[in-house]
Amino acid sequence: MTAAIVDLRRRISNMAPSDLLTRFVVLVISTAVLIYVLMPVFWMLKSSFQTTAEIRAMPPVWLPSAPSFDPYVTANKLIPVWRYLANSLFVSVTAAVISTAIAASAAYVLARFRFPGATLILVLILLTNLIPQITRVFPIYFFIQDLKLINTYAGLILAYVSFSVPFAVLLLRGYFETSAPPELEEAAMIDGCSHFSAFWRVIIPVSLPGIAAVAIFTFLNAWNDFLWASLLLSDGALKTIQVGIGDFASEGGGVQYMNAFMAACVVTTIPALILFVLMQRWLVGGLTAGSVKS
Amino acid sequence: MAAIEIRDVKKSYGSAQVLHGVSIDIADGEFVILVGPSGCGKSTLLRMVAGLESITGGEVAIDDKVVNDLPPKQRDIAMVFQSYALYPHMDVAENMAFSLKLAKRPKAEIEQKVNAAAEILGLKPLLKRRPAHLSGGQRQRVAMGRAIVRDPKVFLFDEPLSNLDAQLRVQMRTEIKDLHRRLKTTIVYVTHDQIEAMTMADRIVVMNQGRVEQYGTPLELFDRPANLFVARFIGSPSMNLVDCTLDAASAAPTLRTAGGMRVAIPKERADTLGTTDLVLGVRPENLKVVQADDPTAFAAEVMAVEPTGSEVMLSVAAGEDHLLLLLRERSSLQVGDTVHLSVDPDHVHVFDRQTSQRVDF
Repeated sequence: MTAAIVDLRRRISNMAPSDLLTRFVVLVISTAVLIYVLMPVFWMLKSSFQTTAEIRAMPPVWLPSAPSFDPYVTANKLIPVWRYLANSLFVSVTAAVISTAIAASAAYVLARFRFPGATLILVLILLTNLIPQITRVFPIYFFIQDLKLINTYAGLILAYVSFSVPFAVLLLRGYFETSAPPELEEAAMIDGCSHFSAFWRVIIPVSLPGIAAVAIFTFLNAWNDFLWASLLLSDGALKTIQVGIGDFASEGGGVQYMNAFMAACVVTTIPALILFVLMQRWLVGGLTAGSVKS
Repeated sequence: MAAIEIRDVKKSYGSAQVLHGVSIDIADGEFVILVGPSGCGKSTLLRMVAGLESITGGEVAIDDKVVNDLPPKQRDIAMVFQSYALYPHMDVAENMAFSLKLAKRPKAEIEQKVNAAAEILGLKPLLKRRPAHLSGGQRQRVAMGRAIVRDPKVFLFDEPLSNLDAQLRVQMRTEIKDLHRRLKTTIVYVTHDQIEAMTMADRIVVMNQGRVEQYGTPLELFDRPANLFVARFIGSPSMNLVDCTLDAASAAPTLRTAGGMRVAIPKERADTLGTTDLVLGVRPENLKVVQADDPTAFAAEVMAVEPTGSEVMLSVAAGEDHLLLLLRERSSLQVGDTVHLSVDPDHVHVFDRQTSQRVDF
């Protein structure tokens, strides 16, 4: 430890004053941003182990005086957390799988084949990303209503897929163009593959980081969604966890059982957190692959 | 094994025509190299034989069967790519076995063929490695292994040695030649390196701007280049080409260059040339250093000396003519020295300056 401090002092004393000032400013700003971002998460986590009275206490109690899992037990009694989690998982995983499958196929065609209208299709896909989501609420709601899919998983999944696919196509098209050289599928076709089997047997495995990034991205989009799930699903048994907890809070549970509400929120973040930690390498690799020539 | 016939093949991308009616006959078991500068259409032609590019006009036949509309997998060919195109998610054995698995061959047969190919190419210790853990030369061997396990009618090589260093390239040249000698399978090979073409091919197709300039054995191309393009392209260092005029009226007709080079030609041939506007070609090794009093000598000033150990390359200026001279023996000549040179009439090439075509005399 002493050696480390000596080394740090030596490095600081060797720095030019302007360098030192720059580093200090960067450190202060980074710390401030980190506190700002993590504070709500910390508040949620510590509150989930406190009593409601302690949460509301002034001045604030920053650490639970008597940490307890009771809020989690209460949450499980008051909110069908497991049911909502299962609903969310089903909807999010299905939307991610369907979006990724459609996006990968479309992106491959757009990356590899030249055909009339290809540029127009790309421009339209780009345009859909530029339209604010809120302006699409009514058209999509009525569209899904016309399909008689309100209050069904299929309706919600359809909405998620329609939002995720355009961005996923753009991302994967770039990935296929830069990270899956055409020679690979040409070699596969000479080896006996058709276009489709070359895509399935060679291009998909080679592009797994990009495909995984898209799958994670679409999963998280669906998992975190509140707006569409609350619009399209009103049946209590079908609610996703976001809507279920939101309804609990708006019905007064969030005030009366603030600690249980926070405990339910913590449980909600766990699947996404686990997924993110496990797949972080893929996500970052997939989003940045091909950005530089290897 | 199979013969390949390429008949009046054309290729266009929109209004841009890149192949202008190419015709080549490749005999069964022959090793033919397509050579030419970048953009001459050689890789496009190879990819059309492979089925990776559509054919705008003409016919490609493999083993007497027109394959214009057949997909690559139905042509019974194997191809080695410049970038190797190994499947990165498979190990060496899986890469080599991929085509056989697709063909649903029995497991024992796949194993036997992969092992046999690995044995030939020295890949046995590497069978469980992924391509990322192989050197360039090893990857190239795996790409060849993937081709030979299929026992195809034709091997196609698209600049397979371009990504290798000079030493490895020489080694792989020998290995590919050896492979051809053992398998006796028809090979069509694309390169822009004329040394590669000269050392490996049974016959060479020299291509330029989508056309075949000359098709023949390496020595035919070297000894009797059909035109100025082939004369410049084949041979390293390349042939000296100097504008000359023919003094056909005199009793001893002579080709003369502005720099003083003189080559006497027989009177009866001079009468039949039909033009006096010519280009004289002399390979650097066919220029000789002679005494100043030699009747055919012309003087030149040494501009650069490049010794390589086994030979010396001299760059000389004879008047306005800049020439390269290759000496097989050591030389004490220095930059600025005057040297007297002569050319053997049996080793000169003459081309019509207007048509660029070879003129025999």
